[in-house]
Amino acid sequence: MRKKSGLTGRRNVLITGADTPIGERLARTLLADSRVDRILVICGGDPSLHPLADNDRVVTMQVDLVRARRVRELLFGPARDHQIHVVVHLAMHRSPKARGSRAHAFNVEALRGIMELAERHPTIERLVLRSDAAVYRSRRDLPVLIGEEHPLNIGVDVPQWVRDRVEADVTACARMGLGRLQVMVLRMAEVLAPGTGSQVFDWLESPFCFRPAGFDPMINLLSLDDATSVLHKAIFSDRQGVFNVPGADTLPLSACIRAWGRIGIPVAEAAMGPLYRIRSKVSGKQFRYGINRGRFHFSGVLDGARAREVLRYVPAHPIDWPVG
Amino acid sequence: MPFPPSIARALASLYLSDDELDRLSDLHYQDAGHGYDPFGLHPDFVGLGHLIAGPLYDKWFRVISRGHASIPEVGPAVLAANHSGSIPIDGAMIWMDVQRHTHPPRVARAIADHFVPSLPWVGTLFARSGMIGGSRGNTRVLLENGELLLIFPEGTPGIIKPWKERYQLRKFRVGHAELAIRHSAPIIPVGVIGAEEQLPLIHASKRLGKPFGVPEVPIPAVPFPLPVRYRIFYGDPIPVHEQYSPDDADDPEVVRKVAAQVQAAVDVLLKQGLKERKGVFA
Repeated sequence: MRKKSGLTGRRNVLITGADTPIGERLARTLLADSRVDRILVICGGDPSLHPLADNDRVVTMQVDLVRARRVRELLFGPARDHQIHVVVHLAMHRSPKARGSRAHAFNVEALRGIMELAERHPTIERLVLRSDAAVYRSRRDLPVLIGEEHPLNIGVDVPQWVRDRVEADVTACARMGLGRLQVMVLRMAEVLAPGTGSQVFDWLESPFCFRPAGFDPMINLLSLDDATSVLHKAIFSDRQGVFNVPGADTLPLSACIRAWGRIGIPVAEAAMGPLYRIRSKVSGKQFRYGINRGRFHFSGVLDGARAREVLRYVPAHPIDWPVG
Repeated sequence: MPFPPSIARALASLYLSDDELDRLSDLHYQDAGHGYDPFGLHPDFVGLGHLIAGPLYDKWFRVISRGHASIPEVGPAVLAANHSGSIPIDGAMIWMDVQRHTHPPRVARAIADHFVPSLPWVGTLFARSGMIGGSRGNTRVLLENGELLLIFPEGTPGIIKPWKERYQLRKFRVGHAELAIRHSAPIIPVGVIGAEEQLPLIHASKRLGKPFGVPEVPIPAVPFPLPVRYRIFYGDPIPVHEQYSPDDADDPEVVRKVAAQVQAAVDVLLKQGLKERKGVFA
């Protein structure tokens, strides 16, 4: 029997990717919410090391989401026992170095499996997917303000890091409204924080930031607090759909470099790729110019009108910039 | 831009008085948090734009304009102007003129062809001054925010006209009419006289434009714009918002009719201006 939680009722929540900064902060936020009884925290690493492992209301587990049987055992084992109502799926490879079929299985197939099982699960009613603004295409003839209908970044020349994100997003969208599972996809602006898979954060790690000469596009960045806030709202919402989640900071790339206390160096477009390939090889950094080429030329700012109207989400926490 | 707004402001102050700088600080725009609007406009860079376009406006082209009362002080509106002169100096002069004659100053958000944002430096400078790429999404958002759009309905074919066809309007595209109807914005016809003679065209090369994604590159007869006298005339607003409902924007007949009406109004302004002027440089 499927147990109804009611729209404003109590919720037990399962978080995949809970050992990421967003997952950890979300778990803390949910602990402070009296409407949440139990949080099932799924980690990629040792669950006993999770900062909330000792909390009575938190159950920490390590599950290899690539393995379908482990996912089944999770959902029809602990998730059923703890009467989980909402799955928040944050698990996604953060590094562009993760490539190939195993990375794809983690990024896309794991979500597909969770959704399929959730459809016939006795307690799970809702799935919230953290998607990414990287799913949108950036091109000179496309609008600066990106609505949810904006063209997606699909193509054979698109790196797997992006392609998997698009496929996961579309996979979730394809199930929307067809079954009993409520699906909400949150296409978040880039979270400028360590450990979030932020390409811009990695780019800003160097004292000198190269950017294509002659271009200074507008970008939008999200803080951890706002990312957590919108996930929290999504858990307690009864609506389905795709929602852009912009951050409070909209600024040009050059201003971003200055505010982070770095030195921007405009270089010829042709040099950008090789420069960052060398950097990646030498220092092991994650930034890939190929992933960011479009948005390093053309402005792209998420339009959060739908999230504002439906989720009452307004970005309220600007990034704490080191320099003014 | 390679420098922060504070430097742009310092540079602008070389040309603008403190009063003018203060006036510009009252610009109507949507600050997205760091002083820029989502499209990249920044008031200090608008001031820098004055440093560049101001001397041209005041000294070189000695702009005369009239009919400013047609420009609404607030709310969405579409300025629809003829386009000419091989390079878009006419857009810069209207941009200057609107700011000089509106209180508080309004920035005419010029809609540029798709290739403009992809031009290094130029695209960025234009964006900081308020120009946007001509996509449907961009224009929709600006009108919803109550901004003033500047559209050249002739498009690129208008700006690259042979000498013998000067002041003969190319057929107006209908996008401006559709936008105005859908967003209940009045259309203000604008006639620009003088620009046609600034850079007489010898040839327009498609081949030269190809590497830059530009439809055609004009090859003018003179190396720099001639000091022709610019005249900018604003006609009476065409109140499409009173005549049509937003749903009429989907009716191709209505949209074509309004576009033709706007073209006729611009043509009248051009004919009046040509009749009045005593010479190209006078």
